[in-house]
Amino acid sequence: MISLTVYRHALRLYPAQHRERFADEMTTVFRGLLADAATKGRMAQSRLCVREMGGVFAGALGEHWRKLAGDNIWLLFATRRFTMRTEFRFPKMTAVLMTIILAGVVLAIQRGEAIQHSLIDANPPVGPIHPVHSTLLPGVIIGLASFYVAGLIGWAILFAMHRSGVHRLDETSAGPKF
Amino acid sequence: MEFLPLTEPVLLILLSLAAHPRHGYSILKDVEQMSDGRVTLSTGTLYGALRRLLDEEWIEPFHEAETSRGRQAYRLTPKGRRNLQLEVSRMKHLTRLANLRIAVKEASA
Repeated sequence: MISLTVYRHALRLYPAQHRERFADEMTTVFRGLLADAATKGRMAQSRLCVREMGGVFAGALGEHWRKLAGDNIWLLFATRRFTMRTEFRFPKMTAVLMTIILAGVVLAIQRGEAIQHSLIDANPPVGPIHPVHSTLLPGVIIGLASFYVAGLIGWAILFAMHRSGVHRLDETSAGPKF
Repeated sequence: MEFLPLTEPVLLILLSLAAHPRHGYSILKDVEQMSDGRVTLSTGTLYGALRRLLDEEWIEPFHEAETSRGRQAYRLTPKGRRNLQLEVSRMKHLTRLANLRIAVKEASA
């Protein structure tokens, strides 16, 4: 039974907790469905395998997503608005990473300028050369700085909302979505 | 209630468990039969829904005398039955309203 073996392997895509809870049951049900399909011919078997593999992949993805984002992450999509939940994690790491990236870019620019200066010293100009001013680098710096400031402002708003306790109001009306 | 309306697969799973406890294979077959073959759930979809229903205590494991590890039956809890009834009432109201509107339109045509 190749398809049963493949199915068992595919179940490994699920988070361990879900696998321990349901893998045996799912395998038993799949075995039953395979036996049914075997009586209906190869086409039915193929259709079953395609449907089941799709179901397992989608299901595993959904379970991992739920594990990462929490059960109530659907609220963000269901209401099409920002809903503060207790499971929401403030993007502290984003601010830190943006700072590191900005520092890296500034450092790279400084290093580039130092190299440029050293090249000018090593090869002095022989004639009247008009320096070409690059407009790309200042644009990149301004763009990054703008993103950084926008991110920082967003984070500050979220932090202020969290401190105000507004997210607790949501707990009174939150319900499961099936 | 915020979690209504239910999706069709979940509604059919709950309806399947409304009469008596069933295990996974039996639920799949019953759902297929109830929907005249229109809704065919995969095991991934079924057990995703069962997991959510178990977590929300709409259903619970039903321990039969001879329950093997791969053959667990489930049944509705009072909470699950209440929510199913609410959903059915909501659908009845919607159907009544739709019939009224269609009748008015046909009468005026």
